[in-house]
Amino acid sequence: MVGDDVDKIIVRMEHIEKSFPGVKALSDVNFELKSGEVMALLGENGAGKSTLMKILSGVYTADSGKMNIFGKEYSNLNPKLAQEIGVAIIHQELNMCRHLSVAENIFLGREKTNMSILSNHEMEKVAKAILDDLQIDIKPREIVGNLPVSKQQMVEIAKALSTNAKVLIMDEPTSSLTSKEINDLFRIIHSLKDKGCGIVYISHRLEELKEIVDRVTIMRDGKFVCMNDFNSMTMDEIIANMVGREITEKFPTVKTEKGKCVLEVKNLNAGKMVREINFKLYEGEIVGFAGLMGAGRTETTRAIFGVDKKDSGEFILDGQPLKINSVKDAIKSGIVLAPEDRKKDGLCTKLSIRDNIALPNLDIICDKAGIVNRKKETEMCNKAVNKLLIKTAGLEVDAGTLSGGNQQKVVVGKWLARDSRVVMFDEPTRGIDVAAKVEIYHLMNKLKQDGIAVMFVSSEMPEVMGIADRIIVMCDGKITGELSKEEATQEKILSLATRFDKKL
Amino acid sequence: MGKNSAIRRFFSIRGMASAIIAFIALIIIYVVFGLREPNVFSTNNILNLLRSMAKYLIIGIGQSYLLITGNIDLSIGSVVGMSAMITATLMTGGMAPILAAAISLVICLIIGVINGFLVGKTKLPPFIATLGTMFVARGIAYIVNNNRNTDAISSGIGKEAADKFQSFFYYGKTFGVYNTFIVAVVVFAVFFFIIAKTRTGRHIYAIGSNVEAAKLSGVSVFLTTTKAYLVSAFCAFVVGLILCAQAGMGNMEAGNSYEMYAVAAGVIGGISPLGGTGLLLGTFAGAAVWQTLENGLNMVGAQVGIQRIVIGLIVVFSVLLDVLLRRGSLIKKRTK
Repeated sequence: MVGDDVDKIIVRMEHIEKSFPGVKALSDVNFELKSGEVMALLGENGAGKSTLMKILSGVYTADSGKMNIFGKEYSNLNPKLAQEIGVAIIHQELNMCRHLSVAENIFLGREKTNMSILSNHEMEKVAKAILDDLQIDIKPREIVGNLPVSKQQMVEIAKALSTNAKVLIMDEPTSSLTSKEINDLFRIIHSLKDKGCGIVYISHRLEELKEIVDRVTIMRDGKFVCMNDFNSMTMDEIIANMVGREITEKFPTVKTEKGKCVLEVKNLNAGKMVREINFKLYEGEIVGFAGLMGAGRTETTRAIFGVDKKDSGEFILDGQPLKINSVKDAIKSGIVLAPEDRKKDGLCTKLSIRDNIALPNLDIICDKAGIVNRKKETEMCNKAVNKLLIKTAGLEVDAGTLSGGNQQKVVVGKWLARDSRVVMFDEPTRGIDVAAKVEIYHLMNKLKQDGIAVMFVSSEMPEVMGIADRIIVMCDGKITGELSKEEATQEKILSLATRFDKKL
Repeated sequence: MGKNSAIRRFFSIRGMASAIIAFIALIIIYVVFGLREPNVFSTNNILNLLRSMAKYLIIGIGQSYLLITGNIDLSIGSVVGMSAMITATLMTGGMAPILAAAISLVICLIIGVINGFLVGKTKLPPFIATLGTMFVARGIAYIVNNNRNTDAISSGIGKEAADKFQSFFYYGKTFGVYNTFIVAVVVFAVFFFIIAKTRTGRHIYAIGSNVEAAKLSGVSVFLTTTKAYLVSAFCAFVVGLILCAQAGMGNMEAGNSYEMYAVAAGVIGGISPLGGTGLLLGTFAGAAVWQTLENGLNMVGAQVGIQRIVIGLIVVFSVLLDVLLRRGSLIKKRTK
């Protein structure tokens, strides 16, 4: 079928199907990888890229379909077996033991021993050889937690190579790297290619693909769209194939009059990541916060919400100066935050939907003695569930069992039961499917129409440009620029988002 | 239909399954022992059983509050001893029982506040923080009467007052049941109400389930943690009074190891030591299982060693069950 290339194909996946509760994650997906090439796997969030790669690395098992790796069929792959046959995945969130050394991490679970005594020296020597080979300047004895993220990622790559991985999957490896670090990474990727490794490269940063990519596979909504040589496609074709539908309907907007100033933040400082922040939020307006990961946007929302201690800063809410020293203060004055990481910060996953929605509103629900008024609570929760179309069997269902989109709606829903003036969203659509995203956008628009000041942090540029009326860009803890919806382009945002202080 | 959905709602309450399993286990254990030794079924034995389980129930309630917040209180056993010693020492000095108990209560609650501060504010690991206060509280129990057990409390407050005190907490009966059990039921009812029906209760579950999320919902982690430690200190105080009443004097070693009995009562009843889940109803069942086992093994003449082994196995088995249930539900979530 592929002709003379056949001996070089090291991975071939055909007709892969995978379902999760209520969601068909993959249907009839094909994928292949040759040795010595970088294959970009592209698609929007929720397109199924990660699921497909988790099947290849043995984390998930496909419901049906064929998978051939190095000429052998595998139907029941598990992570350990995948590692043994040479498939390694480098996750977006690094999985390292921060308190152990580089060498210890590289050999974790495969420690070299001599008469059951650890041969540290031997391991450090081998680790050093691998690191040197990659021209990475890291000492094997260094503690991983002390290294910057980019170096940690290199350690992760070294770890993969130490297992003799021939198939390397990189899931958004550059999302938290600086441009210099990205160059280092690309150098390493090139040298891996020369060694004959096949690399699957998942990234949302299309502009960087041309540096390294040979071929692209594009997925959309869990389906295979196309596979092509990178050079045979234009960027526009790639995007068109990824999106595959009218962009206008992806980002619903409503027109409203910009009203009076709701919140003014003056000279906000909180640690290294929030420096001299000044901005205003108005009625009838959605403000998007753009920037790279680690630009200090999340920290800014947390400082405003009273979670983290501030060093200085003033807030003026509806013309009145406001003191926020705790989350309670913020909530009381009508400033609320739907945090970034649902599982970590947003939800009590072991508690029911009822408990979660009621939690910040107990001051309304309880009587003076602090006793919960069950009727009031049920009313409030039912209202939230109906308003947000949360799909659930009932209020008593554990929040942790809901799908990502519905979990996000619970996180948002708990704030809508109160009269808020300012609603902050931090990455409100991360990891949820397209339909749920649109529902969240509608919700933000609804808040905007109700005269509530809405601000949201997002790392997805199309989303920021599609939803926000005004865009504030941050870099390295500072606001580096402000753009109206009309003047915003990806390039302008990116250039503002990478405007680092020279002095650093 | 209304009735049906009410039943379904009852069973869908988180932790209810574990609590019910514990109750079923309780009945089985009780019947098995009863078949071997008919005296187990005697009214007298039942009354004794209820009285002796009361201590474990009260202390278990205190510990359960902490377990649900995802913490632990190792100091409660020592606070029991402290409560008994302070109250007894003051009474042997002639102080009225109510006043003596009040002073003792204040000191116990101070330990609770310290625990709350160390765990909730300075973020010390609860295991270490309360290990520290465990030694401190036991030390105080030793010091209050110069490293000796107290004399009989009747020597200070007179026989009549001593009898009244002892009967109120241990020897007397109301409605045919020993007062100790009544005290336990009252304590249970109050704290059941607080955790199930009040704002504080919600906060306790919330910080046990996800501290960050609770914090970002405006819950004060420090205050909530402190409240939980106050509850456990209060429960320990009550048990101290019971032990003091039982012995008619203060014993420096009173309440030794109770912190662990309390953990056992909680986890047997399905309170997850990882926080966030569990019902006080389960603690009730757990304390009853514990006491029934001890009582039953006693009645059939098993050695103390055997009793300990059996109880140890039951504790491990209950937590294992909890872990397996948890893992089971996780697997379902992934592959469903």
